[in-house]
Amino acid sequence: MTGARRFRVSLEMGLREYARTPVLLALLIFLPTYFVGIFVYVLPTSSLPIYVPGSGQMMVETVEVYGALLIPLMGALIGGIAGLFVMLSATDADGRLSLAGVGSGTLLAARFTLVALAALLAVGVSLGALATTFVPESIGPFVFASLTVGVTYGLLGTLAGLVVSRLAGVYLMLIAPMLDVFFFQNPMIEEGHWLETSLPGHFPVEIAIEAAFSGSVSPDRFGPALAWLAVAGALAGLAYYRTLKA
Amino acid sequence: MSESPVTRAGGETDRARRLAVGIGAQIRAFARTPVNVVLLIALPLVVVEGYGVAMEAFPQLPFMDTGTLAEMGRVNGAIYSVAFFAGVLGLFQVISARQADERLRICGYARSELFATRLSTVVLGSLVITGAALAVLSWETPPEAPLIAFGALALAALVYGLIGMLVGAVLPRALEGSLVMVFLVDFDDFLSSGMLDLDSPVLTLFPLHFPHNLFRDAVFEGSVAPGEATAGVTYVLLTAILAALVYIRLTANGGELA
Repeated sequence: MTGARRFRVSLEMGLREYARTPVLLALLIFLPTYFVGIFVYVLPTSSLPIYVPGSGQMMVETVEVYGALLIPLMGALIGGIAGLFVMLSATDADGRLSLAGVGSGTLLAARFTLVALAALLAVGVSLGALATTFVPESIGPFVFASLTVGVTYGLLGTLAGLVVSRLAGVYLMLIAPMLDVFFFQNPMIEEGHWLETSLPGHFPVEIAIEAAFSGSVSPDRFGPALAWLAVAGALAGLAYYRTLKA
Repeated sequence: MSESPVTRAGGETDRARRLAVGIGAQIRAFARTPVNVVLLIALPLVVVEGYGVAMEAFPQLPFMDTGTLAEMGRVNGAIYSVAFFAGVLGLFQVISARQADERLRICGYARSELFATRLSTVVLGSLVITGAALAVLSWETPPEAPLIAFGALALAALVYGLIGMLVGAVLPRALEGSLVMVFLVDFDDFLSSGMLDLDSPVLTLFPLHFPHNLFRDAVFEGSVAPGEATAGVTYVLLTAILAALVYIRLTANGGELA
């Protein structure tokens, strides 16, 4: 069996495992829709001053600001939790598959793709729900940014799944995206804390805000956003190889 | 045939002993993973100070008339950390106990005893995390009325501990249950936090609505609104009744709700 075929089979098995639990699929669609809907319903119709990278201060409706932040947050929350549990449930099976001759790179790629698909689903569903009220100006870069932060947190979730216990991992994957995306990267802040630029959500959220409220996005921010993704992937990959060898 | 006083007293001692054994086993299971114990201390510290630091940079919002933004951040962080910790603890208490409780039922444990054991562990965990969060908060933002603040914070922890148990009973899988808890706690905390100028009757249905108001009043004003306190306690009691009914129904059906 070729590497590509093995990758496809591993990914298909992972997808089948999720398809076998319709409650999970229903939750992945229902939860983002419900919470974006609640936000849109309860948020006031007032305007807020925000700082858009490259454009300076702008007055924007509250629902648009939080709508633009919610989509990357949904990606990060669902990506993080999916990454955590993908690794927790797959480690034993992957150890056996590795012994049976499936390359660890193939297995890792299949697991990472599964996490990326979960983040993509979260972003797509949330954006669909938000579209009833607000549509970002540049949809392509906005989706890219939301997906990047979702996959980055997904990879950090896989790292947590390999390094700490299930309970500790859930705690980490709940707190980190909320603090990072919703508080430290909030565009209402002009001069942020020094930590702001060191967090994984910084560059993707900057791209998302720029894409949401201005027609063009500076290409300078894509490199650091992808670099964070690569670092998270490298750390998760390293932890995965160590676990397989143990 | 009625029980003699001696037999009844013996039964009660037995019940108390079984309850103590059950709670002891739960505590040992929790403490056996050192990361859990570290989290119990580190979580409030990271969340309370993290929220404080993050909110310090926000512009002053016109509708927020109490405390500085950093203080508001710490207050929100304290509520969030206790609700979140207790919620996930409640969830995993029920999920991990599912099969064990079924076997304990066969060994003679009453369903109410099993519920009491799980509930006691969640209550104990809630009170410990409440104390830890309040201690962290008091370091930079000492509450005007510490006892009332403790009570309000404990209400937030208890209501989410019970919601966690409910979610664990209805959705007894770690991934699905965790997803629900992530969304519930994060969004409830944000919408109840007072960071937005919201005026919707829907908000009073959110579990953290009353604890948030009570806690803010206790920390900044040193006062308590009796109506809000009654509503908060009623919310917790109703959630406890619902959690008990669902849990008992669950253990009566071999771990299945329906």
